[in-house]
Amino acid sequence: MASAFTRLHERVTDGGLGQYLPLYGRLDEKHQYAYKLLFPALAMMFVVHFIPVVWGATISVMGVNSNYIADWTSAPFVGLEHYAFVMDPTTTIGSRYWYSISRTVLWSVGVLVGTYVLGLTAALLLNQEFKGSFFVRTLLLLPWIAPAIVTLNVWRMMFLSESGIINHALMSIGLIDEPMFWLLGDQALWSMTIAHVWLQFPWVMIMLYAGLQSIPQQLYEAAAIDGAGRWGKFRYVTLPQLKPVSGVVVLLMLLWTMIDFTTPYVMFGGSPPSSVEVTMVYIYNFSFRAFAFGRGAAMSVGLFVVAMVLATIYYRRFIRSDFEEETQ
Amino acid sequence: MTPDEWALSEATKDRLFALASKGLLLTILIWALFPIYWMVFNSFRTRFEIVGGDPSFTETSFHYQNYIDMWSRVDLIEYFMNSLIIASVTTAIALCIACLGGYAFSRYRFPGRRYVGASLIGTQLIPGILILLPMFMLFRTFHDTVGVQLINTYQGIIFVYTTFAVPFAIWMLRGFFDTIPASLEEAARVDGCTRFQALVRIVLPLAAPGIAATGMFVFLVAFNEVLFASVMARGDVTPLSIGIQQFMERDQNYWGEMMAASTVATVPILLLFVLFQKPIVKGLTEGGVKQ
Repeated sequence: MASAFTRLHERVTDGGLGQYLPLYGRLDEKHQYAYKLLFPALAMMFVVHFIPVVWGATISVMGVNSNYIADWTSAPFVGLEHYAFVMDPTTTIGSRYWYSISRTVLWSVGVLVGTYVLGLTAALLLNQEFKGSFFVRTLLLLPWIAPAIVTLNVWRMMFLSESGIINHALMSIGLIDEPMFWLLGDQALWSMTIAHVWLQFPWVMIMLYAGLQSIPQQLYEAAAIDGAGRWGKFRYVTLPQLKPVSGVVVLLMLLWTMIDFTTPYVMFGGSPPSSVEVTMVYIYNFSFRAFAFGRGAAMSVGLFVVAMVLATIYYRRFIRSDFEEETQ
Repeated sequence: MTPDEWALSEATKDRLFALASKGLLLTILIWALFPIYWMVFNSFRTRFEIVGGDPSFTETSFHYQNYIDMWSRVDLIEYFMNSLIIASVTTAIALCIACLGGYAFSRYRFPGRRYVGASLIGTQLIPGILILLPMFMLFRTFHDTVGVQLINTYQGIIFVYTTFAVPFAIWMLRGFFDTIPASLEEAARVDGCTRFQALVRIVLPLAAPGIAATGMFVFLVAFNEVLFASVMARGDVTPLSIGIQQFMERDQNYWGEMMAASTVATVPILLLFVLFQKPIVKGLTEGGVKQ
């Protein structure tokens, strides 16, 4: 590993692939070195992220279907026809697409609220130093460390209506009288949200915990002198101090959930109940079953735009000021 | 009674607060650990115990047969090995590339740094479904022109996963590198180290917890990926994320065996984490906070 790393560094710096970057010659030597180091990452991102996004956008304006999949370049140019079609709420496909977007947003917001509340609570509790806090922190990270592809199946099993432990527990404490169908109908969205919150809350917890640890103790002392109680300290010291890290956590959690495929797919498989047919799953089923790749691409671009718009608004509003201060 | 008599003394309030915190923490702990317990527990139960009759928290016939039958029900050993190979190689390559990139990002204020940073974050909002088909076509074109097969091969899926993991890994590592004072490297440079020697001998050892935490993150990204695996990692390289679903057959769900397979997949990862928990938890809590 060490020698591979050295060889990689030699390749990158001596081979001088960085020189193919635009405007490379105008950088001074130090900055050329920085770009050389970044070159492998940038090149890979160019191949796996940039080219396919442009390609996907191209497919979305062409009539690519099963007839043209082998030779997509000869597919006819259709302009924005696919967009008009998939976003037309009067057609079945269009209305299901919009419905899937609304489910995606609902799911993402639910997950965001759940993970943030739970993560913050856990972080605050961990932040009160006590014996064994390190051990507890490790245990609380386990849902995030255990592979999602297996734990999601455990949740699916726990949510079974006849034999699942959740219905059994709810019935034995008298909250419900007969088994609920957690994996069907509208409840499925709840089940998926609960399972996903379970998966992701440790990450939010650990990020916020790190933020809590970096709050200077003097601020709390000053607040105590001003007569702040427990709530006052939380309201006027902890929350404002957590703002920068919360900004990043909220943004990433929202985006990661919006484009997540693993959770709905593992929990509900190829034909999910419509309440959990989030956009990622809907597009997947639509383009690969109907071979309507052009329309599928148009839907994907739509999802990308929704994510981008949300991220940009959020970034401008909550993060940019912190980020710019820090980069200056 | 007057309100004054109702008021609790400060010491009692503190004690009540501490008690409530402990109770809440215990509740969260149970919620976090129960599904893992339930997985291990049910891996020792027969199918009748799982889907028929009353679910019980503790009663089991210790039905270890699940751990024997699961290997023949599906090609489990192959899926395990594939997942392990794909995820570990991805982690190794992604860490090397991200260490270089994260170091450059942390130490140099090069022109265009803001744009590089924005594109690192930008990759996080690309829906996989948008690039799935173009990637597939790109790989096929690559095969037709260069003659190297990337679809349904280790190298293809590892390349894709590495690139998925690298941007966020750079972001994370850059946070860890930022916490290491540049003066240490400068001192090493004065003593005659090259820039690279300073990186390898000074920065990387100090950033080891952060690198461990980042490695964990990358490993999980690769291990849990389903979308690309379902299209570009079939046949001989099918990973566990796809293969484990075969315990769900149309008319029969082999829950017990699935839970046994899940336990076998989870335990090594949890053990690895617990073994390296000090650096990983330290890394997660120290550097990751930088944006």
